[in-house]
Amino acid sequence: MSQQISYKIEHSPSYASLVIHLKTNETVLVESGAMAAMDTCIKMKSRAKGGLMKGLGRMVSGESFFISEFTAEGKSGELYVSPGVPGDICHYYLQGNALMIQSSGFVAASPTVEIDTKFQGFKGFFSGESLFLIRATGIGDIWFSSYGAIVEIPVAGDYVVDTSYIVAFEDTLNYNVEMLGGLSFRGLRTGILGGEGLVCRFNGEGRLWVQSRELYSLINFLNPFRPTKSN
Amino acid sequence: MNIELLHQPDSAIARVVLDANEELVAQAGCMIAMNGSINASTTLRQGKGGGILGGLKRMVAGESLFLSVFRSPISGGEVFLAPKLMGDLLTYEMKGQELVVQATSYLASESGVDIDLGFQGFKSLFSGESIFWLSLSGYGVVLLTSFGGIYKIPVNGEYIVDTGHIVAFEKSLNFDITKAGSSWLSAFLGGEGLVCRFKGQGNVYCQTHNPGAFGSQVGSKLPPQ
Repeated sequence: MSQQISYKIEHSPSYASLVIHLKTNETVLVESGAMAAMDTCIKMKSRAKGGLMKGLGRMVSGESFFISEFTAEGKSGELYVSPGVPGDICHYYLQGNALMIQSSGFVAASPTVEIDTKFQGFKGFFSGESLFLIRATGIGDIWFSSYGAIVEIPVAGDYVVDTSYIVAFEDTLNYNVEMLGGLSFRGLRTGILGGEGLVCRFNGEGRLWVQSRELYSLINFLNPFRPTKSN
Repeated sequence: MNIELLHQPDSAIARVVLDANEELVAQAGCMIAMNGSINASTTLRQGKGGGILGGLKRMVAGESLFLSVFRSPISGGEVFLAPKLMGDLLTYEMKGQELVVQATSYLASESGVDIDLGFQGFKSLFSGESIFWLSLSGYGVVLLTSFGGIYKIPVNGEYIVDTGHIVAFEKSLNFDITKAGSSWLSAFLGGEGLVCRFKGQGNVYCQTHNPGAFGSQVGSKLPPQ
């Protein structure tokens, strides 16, 4: 019964913006704070989906993972959605299967999509990098975003991805986080921090989306340019 | 080896497909994703003035000497590579000539390309920027990256390029570091500190933006360390 929501993605891949065309009385869930512009007939309602405990779970999984509900009341209207970080947006249609999305990558979804936070932290993670995933299930549309462009990889077999570049993947893939010795600087005894070579190894068949840039690289690049405290 | 550049220019990413036992050398840490069957190893590459001490000196200067080597045991193994900052990619074919590359602009190369870290051409450079240079020679494709867009200047005669904007240049060119203005005072007050003056014939590859200028402009507005 769930119909696809009509949409287009503009200015992809570096400055992607999602334009959702809502039919009369149609509703869409949007990451809170991501609405950029909309017709006046669209009404916003914040919603703590699934009650308090799930809301708390969301606070744990992402920095401010809250969802707002937008409904076109009385007539159809347009809604522009822009993620906080410039990059790409991808659409996926859930048909009862599950999609795992990196927690800050959620953009929007049909109200029929269930969003569940699945705590995936600390398993093999140190160095401040952490992989938190949310799990989307049900039937309906979902959009997710990245920093940089999104590349879709159809996995059949064995695939390795740097953990910080994962955007989303189908739940049919098995995954576990490991340290790939060949990419690690540790054995070289250099005393350089970072570059542990943490990767996520996927197995099975399914689609995987990675991003072409990673926000922490920019932060690390800018860090040495910060002024030094004078005291 | 087959190299495909996707999502140019701002979010460029390279998809490299390897034949059986072919090797790809890349700046360590630039691998995004790859087939599980590919073997990766990371090594410390030492320059001519090398040795452990030379290596340490370079590490202190912020030079990353780490190179990863990817080898596919089977034909068709793929590796995705991308630079750290927003910008474009360029493939450059080495046919025995020499190419000088700014270290942060080097992304990857075929194993037939030799990488020499000991390029001392700009030794006299005393602008606080920790730019260092690689000297490439041999045969094969090199992947270069830029901050912003990338453009080629075919030099025939003389040309001046700001050092922060150089991605790479062919060694057939003579060059020297000089000031942009007529006096040292105007050179520094004008903000154009040091420039590279090229002479002769050859190509210079430039980037539209200077990462150092971006870093100091944004970084100075961040809370102190």
